[in-house]
Amino acid sequence: MDLAKYRTIFIEESTEHFAEISQALLELEKDPARVESIDVVFRMAHSIKGMAASLDYDSITELAHKLEDRMQLVRGAGALDSGDEISLLFRGLAALEAMVGAVRETGEAPPADPDLVAALAARTTPLPAPKKKRAEPVSGRAGDAPAPRLEVPRPPPTVRVNTRTLDRFLSTVGEVILNTSQVRTVSQSGASPNNALAEGLDRMDRVVGELQRRALELRTTPLLRILEPLPRAARDVAEQAGVRVEVQLRGAELELDRSILDRLSDPLVHLLRNAVDHGIEPPEERISAGKPAVGRIVIEARREKDTIRLSVCDDGAGIDLEAVRRRAAEAGVVHPDLAADLTGEQIAALVFEPGLSTATSVSEISGRGVGMDAVRSTLESLGGSVEIATERGRGTTTTLVVPITAAVQRVLMLGVGAETVAIPIAKVERIEECPTERIERSGSDAFALIDGDLVPVLDLAARIAQPSAAPGRTTHLVLTEVRGERVALSAERVAGQQQIYVKPLPELLRGARALSGLTILGDGRPMFLLDPNQIA
Amino acid sequence: MARVLVADDASFMRQMIREIVEAEGHEVVGEASDGDEAVEEWKRLQPDVVTMDIVMPRRSGIDAVKGIMDIDSTACVVMCSALGQETLVQEALQAGARDFIVKPFKPDSVIATLNKVLEKKED
Repeated sequence: MDLAKYRTIFIEESTEHFAEISQALLELEKDPARVESIDVVFRMAHSIKGMAASLDYDSITELAHKLEDRMQLVRGAGALDSGDEISLLFRGLAALEAMVGAVRETGEAPPADPDLVAALAARTTPLPAPKKKRAEPVSGRAGDAPAPRLEVPRPPPTVRVNTRTLDRFLSTVGEVILNTSQVRTVSQSGASPNNALAEGLDRMDRVVGELQRRALELRTTPLLRILEPLPRAARDVAEQAGVRVEVQLRGAELELDRSILDRLSDPLVHLLRNAVDHGIEPPEERISAGKPAVGRIVIEARREKDTIRLSVCDDGAGIDLEAVRRRAAEAGVVHPDLAADLTGEQIAALVFEPGLSTATSVSEISGRGVGMDAVRSTLESLGGSVEIATERGRGTTTTLVVPITAAVQRVLMLGVGAETVAIPIAKVERIEECPTERIERSGSDAFALIDGDLVPVLDLAARIAQPSAAPGRTTHLVLTEVRGERVALSAERVAGQQQIYVKPLPELLRGARALSGLTILGDGRPMFLLDPNQIA
Repeated sequence: MARVLVADDASFMRQMIREIVEAEGHEVVGEASDGDEAVEEWKRLQPDVVTMDIVMPRRSGIDAVKGIMDIDSTACVVMCSALGQETLVQEALQAGARDFIVKPFKPDSVIATLNKVLEKKED
């Protein structure tokens, strides 16, 4: 028997089971008598036990067995005990997850926590279930009639594909696109244009375009994958913070490119921690403010044009903007005189500045590594942004705005010296032709008056160490936004727009932060994609 | 060589049984991941023998045995059980299952049990 193969299946299958158990426990927390959820936990524990036993992971077998037995008793009783039973089940789940995590890392299962095993085994013999105590007509649950079988539509059959295989496939599709445009360039360079060839290429473009769309769809994954663990994470944080919270997920079925999805997980967890730890007030405080004792956090995904907006909305205390204003002035983030003039919106945006924590005390929960500034830079590196809206006493909504696909982008091509570089069109506000004498220089800085404001001008040629052509009479200013500020990039030529397939940078160039990718032009030359955030 | 249908909600277990029975030269003609599917696949494939897990979603293995027996009372089903499921195994046997194998599976005993019920079926 190929143990390594079964170990992999065990880890994959248990991980899926953990997600289902977690979901079921969250449902049981709301409705301790939810039969379907009790069944799910029982069945999943049973299944994990069977797999672990087959691989001789005795400690996992034992713990899963205790969890299964416990759920058997809960089944008999008809509902969870009020009180600590749900917490105990969550602890059991966390312990199993940690043990399977250890198997993943080391191949060995660590011993089970004896106290936990004992606690799971300690449920007193169940009292006979109070007959149909939950038969409220409201829920439509029929009195003594047998419970209707749950009709769950079966999802279409699926196959598991290694992500590396998928990336190789996508990269090959990219090559096809590049080759097509190279062939087109060659076909147009001949003396007499060949119409049949041009038509053939047009048809091919359409088919290749379709192939590309399908290939990109393969890379997309439902947001559920990163949203699913959040309600439970919120619960854990809430327990430590002494607050109560209920998390709702909306729009989790929306799909996003997997490479983006993976990078959104940490920022989302951070926003959620903030919402629970700094947003939601303790129950007594909420009640005296006329709010329900249990705080509410809605995590919602919405599609808007080519972006997905992921918001974390809490009904907590809101951000104390005056405190942020003071702190920002003290920390030197803004000049004290300026701080007084900032609008509420501008103040709220300051929480994304490095070194500015809004918490009244740096708590153990939120004071971990990533801050709001890390959230912002992650989003910006994905070509997205972060927005925040807050109202004292009513709550805070933080929104991550992310582009739907990373791999194919529409870009603006700019000629700089002998090079052509590209920047994502989504980043471009507009382009303005500007006589060079209108650019004012002071030392190494340059500014141009645009819409009545002085906007910093960055010379692209100087930034990417290209010799500038002889200074022309006019230059092109590409207006873009860098961390909320308008910036103008000056370039000699505007070489048009194009949809390009962005390839990741070769290993050797990964260190160049200003470059976010490259594509091969029709004539075979590489063109780099610039990240405006990193140029300024 | 026998045609085998494997019913288990864990693909881990399905794979393991498949490997064990194929090594013996039998053919796994189908897999089912819940009780409903087991009955449907039994109708479609008419296998020589079914290995049937007890705890499965939607419809338990025991209900699936009953469903299959309603269609063909000579059908040959072997239950896959875990320790501690003696009562359930008893119920399945009463419902018409021929025998049972116990998880974690030992290849030898799985094969011995399958061969035993298949021989009896020949009689």
